[in-house]
Amino acid sequence: MNFFQAQNKARHNTRLLTALFIGAVISLVLLTNLLVLVFFVDSMPGTSLVNQVVNAPSQVWIYTSLGVVGLIAVASGFKFLALQGGGKAVAESLGGVLIHQNTRDSQQRQLLNVVEEMAIAAGMPVPPVYLIRENSINAFAAGFGIHDAVIGINQGTIDLLNRQELQGVVAHEFSHILNGDMRINLRIIALLNGILILGVIGGGLMRGSMFSRSRDRGALIALGIGLLIIGYGGTFFGQLIKAAVSRQREYLADASAVQFTRSTQGIANALKKIGTHSTGSRIESPQADENSHLFFGAIRSFSSMMATHPPLEARIKALDPNWVPSADQGKTISSSRSAPGASGFARGAAVSQLSGSANLPAAQRMIETADADLNQASHDTFEARALVYAMLLSHDDAVRGNQIQLIAQLAEPGVPELVPNMYRLLSDQDHQDKLLHLEQAMPTLKEMSRAQYQRFYDLTAKLIVADKAVDIFEWVVHRLITQELYAHFVKPHRSNGRITRAGKVAKQAGLILSLLATVGADNGDDQVSAYQRGQKIWGGSAHMARLKYFDHQALNQALERLRELNADLKQRFIDACSGVVNADGKLTSQEFSLIKGIAVTLGCPLPPVD
Amino acid sequence: MEMIIILLVLALLAFWVARIYNQLVELQNRHENGFSQIEVQLKRRYDLIPNLVETAKAYMNHERETLEAVINARNDAVAGLAAAAGKPGDAAAMSELAGAEGILGSAMSRFNVTMEAYPDLKASANMAQLSEELTSTENKVAFARQAFNDQVTEFNTYRNSFPPVLFASTFGFSSDAALMEFEDSQEIQAAPKVSF
Repeated sequence: MNFFQAQNKARHNTRLLTALFIGAVISLVLLTNLLVLVFFVDSMPGTSLVNQVVNAPSQVWIYTSLGVVGLIAVASGFKFLALQGGGKAVAESLGGVLIHQNTRDSQQRQLLNVVEEMAIAAGMPVPPVYLIRENSINAFAAGFGIHDAVIGINQGTIDLLNRQELQGVVAHEFSHILNGDMRINLRIIALLNGILILGVIGGGLMRGSMFSRSRDRGALIALGIGLLIIGYGGTFFGQLIKAAVSRQREYLADASAVQFTRSTQGIANALKKIGTHSTGSRIESPQADENSHLFFGAIRSFSSMMATHPPLEARIKALDPNWVPSADQGKTISSSRSAPGASGFARGAAVSQLSGSANLPAAQRMIETADADLNQASHDTFEARALVYAMLLSHDDAVRGNQIQLIAQLAEPGVPELVPNMYRLLSDQDHQDKLLHLEQAMPTLKEMSRAQYQRFYDLTAKLIVADKAVDIFEWVVHRLITQELYAHFVKPHRSNGRITRAGKVAKQAGLILSLLATVGADNGDDQVSAYQRGQKIWGGSAHMARLKYFDHQALNQALERLRELNADLKQRFIDACSGVVNADGKLTSQEFSLIKGIAVTLGCPLPPVD
Repeated sequence: MEMIIILLVLALLAFWVARIYNQLVELQNRHENGFSQIEVQLKRRYDLIPNLVETAKAYMNHERETLEAVINARNDAVAGLAAAAGKPGDAAAMSELAGAEGILGSAMSRFNVTMEAYPDLKASANMAQLSEELTSTENKVAFARQAFNDQVTEFNTYRNSFPPVLFASTFGFSSDAALMEFEDSQEIQAAPKVSF
């Protein structure tokens, strides 16, 4: 299952759950109505219950139903609002402490390195990492999509696991992100909260009316008890559904983790360590309950029906069938699934491998061979800005002079001094290297305050247009900054996948494919044949547009629309883009930048290829 | 039927209050995280100072007092930082740290003045590198402090806005978080710039 299929599946599951939830709400409304009628409508002596219900005034029905639906809507709505903050809000509510990118603690450094490698291997933004002060072995991922995801790790996890095991755990969390599990989860949390509120109110009503002297006291108590049962009963069944879905997703995440790390050892050993650790994967914080399914291991021990995670033994056996003799291989892991990057191109030469896969060796190699000073600068909150400014400096002396003046005027004190050195370090780096450092710098830049972000953002925009033009590299830098920092500081963008027919975006798709073809080859005929190759994959018939210059506004507008495509079409579109780019068998840095910007804007991961 | 409307309104109110509480907790967490960023940078600075003094010792035998003053001020600042890290935003802890930082700043500038008399020391590569690193750390402290103050201001603004101000004290957010103000920010920023 690749990224897009997983996203589709996740969406499908969400719809299923929503349908179940609507069913639950309807039955809750009916039950509550029944309760109200039984206890409040003055019963006429001698009439049966059925008669009483049938003859009840319609206002009773209407008011009660409105009341229940209103309550559920209010409760779910508020919870949803609280979760709008994305992954960051969840991590903060769990008491997570942000691990700074320039931490000098060696354990934390190692963890950040593992997370960064994995993010680059999966071709997604590097998420911020939060430390949870609990001594058990556990971890979680939270957020709506790849741009606002965060990872949380228990202190116990980094204390007790070695690098390989840590890698397995982190890979597991990344697959939750890529499989779209967090998104389902956030919705379920909100919906369950709506049902739970009925129980809470029932409890309150019951206790409250114990002391009331009203004529209806008995009826009120009874209604309270009824609501209590309905609310908690509803929540119970909701939890059951949630747990069942969650268990399936855990197996999938384990399997993907193996695929990411190319090894069953790490994750299997981590699970075994949970089994032998005194507190296992238990989390003390009560806030963790509603997020129980986001974790790596079960946070409480539940009976099997309510368990959010499959039993440890089953998970280990699925990973390591030889673990126990005659083990039942419930679900075997096909770690050899689709060998990545069959092509023998030079580094990063192909971009076809756009799936939920990850290429860890390639990512590690990229980081290792990158310039050490630049690696360090991208992890320093202070220097990271100088790095980005330096990336945007023009090769033209006059323009660069203007830009340096802008930096001197508008950057925070101390930053302008660093820029020349960064510019020197970057001089021998190609686009791909620079974009790697930009990705590395993202979690660092997220540590700024909002005011500092605004200043940074304004200055980058000014630097980009200093030469009165926007080139492809500048465009992709701007896309990355906007997509990732805007999601963090303002609000995450959430595409709803509402465009389901390719015909609706024929013009936009044609424009982007034309652009890729134009950039990819000098010769007009090559351009046309590359374009046609792309159109064939996309299944469109539009003619290639002749583009005289790089029009970033038209490109942005087209992408704005394309990012509302559903997962299937997004996949087809990205495949078509790689078709155009790979037509001549080589990947120029212009092409790489373009396709990177496209993938980022559409919210698709772009894993590196050997 | 009024009961249902009352119930709905009550539920709405309850959630609204809960949201205010959550918002307060979130903003508090955020500025506490911001403080740990300052902490990282200050620690770095405090680690550099003994090296600087060590290097200087070889040249400045007759300036024991100045060097000791620097080391003492540095040790006080380390203690102040440890105390402040426990409760970021606490006014007393913040002003204590700021005070210790101020003393350290003036000890450093005295040290710099004294160093003027030792051209050999100024010329040493080790010293040049250390003071360069101190300068850049100083800039980083200022930057982290700015972020922290932004976050504290955001928290305070929210806490004092209506309606959160009605509930803030009840929820245990009884006072504004303190900004991290160094006595003379401008001077401190320039303090370790060893003037060659």
